[in-house]
Amino acid sequence: MLRYAFYTGCSAKGVAPELYESTKLVAEKLGMELIELEAATCCGAGAVQEKDEFMSLVINARNLALAEELGLDMLTICNTCTLMLREAKFKLDKNPEVREAVNEVLKETGLEYKGTIEVTHFLWEVIDAVGLDKLKSMVVRPLKEFNIAPFYGCHIIRPPYLIGYEDPDNPKSIEMLIEALGGNPVDHEARLACCGFHSFWSAEDKVTLRLTAMDTQAAKKQRADFMVTPCPLCHTQLDAMQPEAEEKIGVNIGMPVLHLPQLIGLAIGLKPKELGLHKHVISTKSIIEKVA
Amino acid sequence: MEFFNLKVFRYDPTKDSQPYYKTYRLPVEKGMTVLAALFKAKEEQDPSISFRYNCRAAICGSCAMRINGHATLACKVQVTHLLDKYQTDTIVVEPVGNIKPLKDLIYDMDWVVDKLKRIKPWFIPKEAPPADGKEYRQDPFDHQKIDYASDCILCNSCMSDCNALKANKDFLGPMVISKAYRFVADSRDGAKKERLEEVLKEFNLEWCVRCMECTTRCPKEVQPYENIIRTRIIAAEEGFKSPGEIHAEIFEKDIYNRGLLNEMLLPMRQEGLLGAAKRAPFGIRMFFKGKVNIADFFGGHKVKRHEEVQKIMDKARQMKDKVKIKIIPDVQTVYEDKRKSKKLKEQKA
Ligand code: SF4
Ligand code: SF4
Ligand code: FES
Repeated sequence: MLRYAFYTGCSAKGVAPELYESTKLVAEKLGMELIELEAATCCGAGAVQEKDEFMSLVINARNLALAEELGLDMLTICNTCTLMLREAKFKLDKNPEVREAVNEVLKETGLEYKGTIEVTHFLWEVIDAVGLDKLKSMVVRPLKEFNIAPFYGCHIIRPPYLIGYEDPDNPKSIEMLIEALGGNPVDHEARLACCGFHSFWSAEDKVTLRLTAMDTQAAKKQRADFMVTPCPLCHTQLDAMQPEAEEKIGVNIGMPVLHLPQLIGLAIGLKPKELGLHKHVISTKSIIEKVA
Repeated sequence: MEFFNLKVFRYDPTKDSQPYYKTYRLPVEKGMTVLAALFKAKEEQDPSISFRYNCRAAICGSCAMRINGHATLACKVQVTHLLDKYQTDTIVVEPVGNIKPLKDLIYDMDWVVDKLKRIKPWFIPKEAPPADGKEYRQDPFDHQKIDYASDCILCNSCMSDCNALKANKDFLGPMVISKAYRFVADSRDGAKKERLEEVLKEFNLEWCVRCMECTTRCPKEVQPYENIIRTRIIAAEEGFKSPGEIHAEIFEKDIYNRGLLNEMLLPMRQEGLLGAAKRAPFGIRMFFKGKVNIADFFGGHKVKRHEEVQKIMDKARQMKDKVKIKIIPDVQTVYEDKRKSKKLKEQKA
């Protein structure tokens, strides 16, 4: 049995409950035991990081220490959480003086950051730990009639000095996964682009919605049936904000966006409803009808 | 592979109404850089190809271009590496992105220089020169804050692939803001406020979408993205109130009060009642899709062991000013392929 300390992050517990549900269902089927870190806090999502670097290191050192208490690697389901936690780990591991100061703070609660675990993402573990061969053997409903547009999202490939899982110029993991599930990966211009999420509150009209429109249109241009992303923030932006993006450019796009575990779930025989496909803003009806 | 195709973006505005691509077939030579390949094509096949270069040693920054979709220095990357990396027999070279091409691979540098001028990219001393006539001295800790930022060679690789610039050309861009940081963070500089005001006009500094593309592209490990964030931190310390600063405060408060961000109440706290009203259609849509946890409107649940969080946050605030966080000389642009190394480890085990 593969065991992980499961870091859910805010989104999967807030605006993307279908991600939380589908991850748990799919992980169980794949033989991954997820032990939820119920005491973990928000990673700061880059916001705390830009106000108070020390504070962001302290809260994430605590998060990491919670996984260390269990002696398990920390599994994330959000790109930004992955990056923030890996960044904190990098800084703590490379900077003994800061680590000492952080541990002085953690001591207040009897915790200590030791640096003994890794921060990993669901996508990577499905590929490396579960393995694509095992996954293939579990496919009961190959996704062969679907053209699927991968959308990596920035923080699972960049910057390479913090992520380093695969080549940020030409990553292949999502394509490998789609192929293992019997689907057809679609090459499109926005494959490695940004959804715009992180400048929403400061540049919604000037940047964010324009990127969201560009990305979803790029997938549409290549005749993708839907997009798939390993990040709930990209998902919120591309799916839930797509109507605003459409309004911004005055074009109807209508591109469904799935979470990665939903994609796997469909292929291994879970029902669209169990996976929460009905919870998306852009209708997934065309997908649900085909897999029925 | 004996030969490869060098597919070059061609455009001469005096003759062409549209850019086009022309492909040159060249022998694969060990150690050959893309710049050397361009020279070979120019010398042996087509003298009309135009491109900029100077040092041929990744120092001057003039040979930056987009190679197979990503900006980099043509004199730094080797043909054999690219063919292997992309599993292809074709290398596509285009001018850097986001900036107007002038002729073939030559782009409009004036556009960038105009942006750069706005932040006054030169040293404006705070004090008169030291009496002994020697240079302005600096504490080593202060110096390392700007050490990496001062390595920028103005190559524009970061500007080329910036996602915020792609969406909006008015954005100052990573090179310009990173350059502003180099002075804003300099303990000897006297124009901090002025420069901050410039990058914060219309909150331009905050248009950055945190895509990390700039840091990933930078051939000199300048960390432009990180420098943007460092500039934001300094702006907040100097008392500039921006949407980002408000956002950060909300996050910090939520973590303190319950451990997690309350996404339901975020719009109202970020933008006030009017803002929340503007977001109503979004909220209603989310509600009907079952994405809203009603409890969140009343504060929502707390993470377990929540009292620990408050304790450490209080303590961290007290200690903050005492801790000197150094910038880590980290950014090996050469990534380590964890997937491959993990497999190797397993094979050995
Ligand atoms: S991180 Fe910001 S500045 Fe850098 S490339 Fe992305 S949007 Fe541009
Ligand atoms: S920050 Fe790096 S990529 Fe950007 S112009 Fe300077 S050297 Fe080039
Ligand atoms: S020619 Fe100077 S950097 Fe390439």
